[in-house]
Amino acid sequence: MTTRINIFLAIALIACALLLINSQYQARRLFIELEREQSLSKQFELQWTQLKLDQSTYGKHSRIEETAAKELNMVPVTPERTQYLKAVEAK
Amino acid sequence: MSRAGNMSRTAASRGVSFSSSPVLEVKLPTWRSRLVLFLLFGAFVALICRALWLQGMTTDFLQKQGANRYARTLELPATRGKITDRNGQVLASSVPVKAIWAIPDDVLEAPKEKLQQLAALLDMTEAELRKKLDSDRQFVYLKRQVEPVVSDKILALGIAGIETRKEYKRFYPEGEVMAHVVGFTNVEDIGQEGIELASEKNLAGKTGSRRVIKDRLGRIVEDIRAIREPHDGSDITLSIDSKIQYIAYTHLKEAVEKHKAKAGGAVVLDAKTGEILALVNLPSYNPNDRSVLTGAQLRNRVITDTFEPGSTMKPFTVALALETGRVTPDTVFQTAPGYMSIGPAVIHDAHKEAALTVAQVIQKSSNIGVAKMALQMPPKEMWELFTTLGFGQQPKIGFPGAVAGRLRNYKNWRPIEQATMSYGHGLSVSLLQMARAYTIFARNGDMIPITFQKTTEAPVAQHVISEKTAQQLRVMMESVTQPGGTATQARIPGYRVAGKTGTAHKIEGGRYVNKYVGDFIGFAPVSNPRVIVAVMIDEPSAGGHFGGIVAAPVFAAITANVLRSMNVPPDSSVTSIIPDNSVQESM
Repeated sequence: MTTRINIFLAIALIACALLLINSQYQARRLFIELEREQSLSKQFELQWTQLKLDQSTYGKHSRIEETAAKELNMVPVTPERTQYLKAVEAK
Repeated sequence: MSRAGNMSRTAASRGVSFSSSPVLEVKLPTWRSRLVLFLLFGAFVALICRALWLQGMTTDFLQKQGANRYARTLELPATRGKITDRNGQVLASSVPVKAIWAIPDDVLEAPKEKLQQLAALLDMTEAELRKKLDSDRQFVYLKRQVEPVVSDKILALGIAGIETRKEYKRFYPEGEVMAHVVGFTNVEDIGQEGIELASEKNLAGKTGSRRVIKDRLGRIVEDIRAIREPHDGSDITLSIDSKIQYIAYTHLKEAVEKHKAKAGGAVVLDAKTGEILALVNLPSYNPNDRSVLTGAQLRNRVITDTFEPGSTMKPFTVALALETGRVTPDTVFQTAPGYMSIGPAVIHDAHKEAALTVAQVIQKSSNIGVAKMALQMPPKEMWELFTTLGFGQQPKIGFPGAVAGRLRNYKNWRPIEQATMSYGHGLSVSLLQMARAYTIFARNGDMIPITFQKTTEAPVAQHVISEKTAQQLRVMMESVTQPGGTATQARIPGYRVAGKTGTAHKIEGGRYVNKYVGDFIGFAPVSNPRVIVAVMIDEPSAGGHFGGIVAAPVFAAITANVLRSMNVPPDSSVTSIIPDNSVQESM
C-alpha cells in the first residue's frame, strides 16, 4: 500500500515539476513578447514625435509664403479685392 | 584442517592475536596524536570562521556580486514636453540623439585609418580628435547630440572603447521667428531662456527605472522589483499664433532693415482675452544653431528692456483729465507760441499750433497741451492711474526677466517732472507694459491680465476708466491716423484703426542723446477692437526717426495681415489708401 502511494506521489511530483518548468517558460516567452511590443510602441511614439516635428518644419509659414509667392505666383489678398459675405444665422 | 588452511594468511593463523599484535606494542609519544587532533580541530575552526564570515559579515557584498551577474537596472528615459502654439503647431520638441564617449586608452590603440574615419564622422580633424583623447580620464565625451544615423556609422567602425549614450536634442522648427518666446535648452536638456526656462518644472520629465533579470542573450527575462514609471514632461500650449508671429516678424524685420535700426520689437495682444498672440524681437538668432550668440541677439527687448515711452503716454493723461471731469474733448488749450516754461525749464512742441481742443492735442501730439492738462491735476492722481496701469510694476506673466520699469513716487515729483511725465518722459516702461495698458482703450475702460498660455475662459477685468472716457479716447486716437494726425501711415484698408505715436530720445549715462526710439501702439478695428499691436524701433538711422514714420507703417502692415488671418470683418468702406502728409509729433 505504502509503495503505491509513494509511486503515485513520485509521479505527481514529476508532473508538477514539469508543469512548473513549462509555465516558467511560458511566462518568460510572454514577457519577452511584451517587452518587444512595448519597445515597438515606444519606437512609434518617437516616430510620431519626429513626424509632428517634420510637419511643423515643412508647414513653416516662411516656407509656405515662399512657395506661394515664387512657385505658385500668388499675391496677398487685399480688402479691395475681397467680397465679404454676411454669415446668415441658422434658424 | 580446511579451516586452518583458509586462515593460513591471517595473523591469527600465525598464532598472533589482534590485541597482542606487535605493531600495537610500539609505543608512540602521545603528543603526536594530540598534534594531529589539534590540527584537524584548527582546520575545522578555520572553516567555520570562513563560513561565518561569508554568511554573516559579507552576505550583502556577495549577494550584490551575484546579482550583478544577472540583474540590471535600466534607466527609463522621460522625454521633455513639447511646446506648441495655439493651433498645435510644434514650436519645440525633443528628439533622441546619441552622445559619443570614449575610453581614451582603448581608442588610441585603434589603427590610424579607423581614427581618421572616426574623426571625419565626428566633423573634426584627426589632430582635434587626438587632442580630446589625450586625457588621463577614463571617460571623455567626443561629441554630444549626434544624429542616430551618424552614431550608427561610428559604432559600425567597431573601434574598441567607443560607446554611445542616449540623450535628447531639442529642435525648434520655427527657428529665429520664435526664438525669444520659446527660448532654448542647454545640452543637458534644461531650459535656459524664454518659456523653456519659465516652464522648466512642467516641461521636464522625470526618469524612471526598473530592475530586471537578463538572460545570456541580453533579453529581459523578468522584473525583480516594481517598475518606477518614467513621467514625461507635460506639453505646453502657448497663446502665440505662429502665423501672426511670422507676420509680425517679417514686417518688423523689413522696417528694421529699411531704417537701419539697431533693434526692434513688436507685440500683438488679443484685446478680448489678453493672450499674447505674437511677440517678436530683432535682432534674433537661430535656436537650433547657437554657436555664435551675442547678448544683443538674446535680449527679449519687448519684455526686458525699458525705454521712455514718449507721446504714447499722452492718452493716459488725457483719459485721467476727462475721467475726473476737468476737461471735455472740446476744452481748448492754448499751445502758442510753441514753447512753455515751467520753473527754469522750457518744454517745446515740434510744430507750432494755436489753440487746440483736447481731441486735437492728441491728434497733433502737443506736449504743451498735455502738460497744461497734467498741471491741473494732483501728482497723486496721475501716479495712481499709472500704477493701476501696471507701470513701475513687474508684469505677472511668468516670463523670466520681465522688468518693472521706473515710476518714481509722486511725493517727489516737481511740476516740471509731472509735466514731462504726462507726455512720457522721466519714467520708463517696457513695450509689453504699454501694450497691456492700452487695453483700457480697446476694452471700454477695463484692463485684463495678459498671458502666454492659451486660455478659453473670459479673463477677470479690472475697471480703470469709464466706458464713456474710453470711447472718447478711441475717437481721438482714431483721428491720429487720419489726415492731419501724426500717423497717417498707420491706416489700413478696410478697417478703422486707432493708436498713438511716440518718439523719445534715448538716455545714455543719465543724459539725453540724439538717438531715438520710435514707437506706435494701436488697436483695430475701432468699432470693436480685437487686437492691440505695439511696435518699437530702436535707434532708426535712415529714413526718419519719428514713431509715425518708422513704427506706424509696421503697425499697419502687421495689423492688416493679422485681422485678415483672424477673419475679422472690415468696419470701414475705405478699401484703398491714398498717402498724404502727416504732421510731426512733439518729443
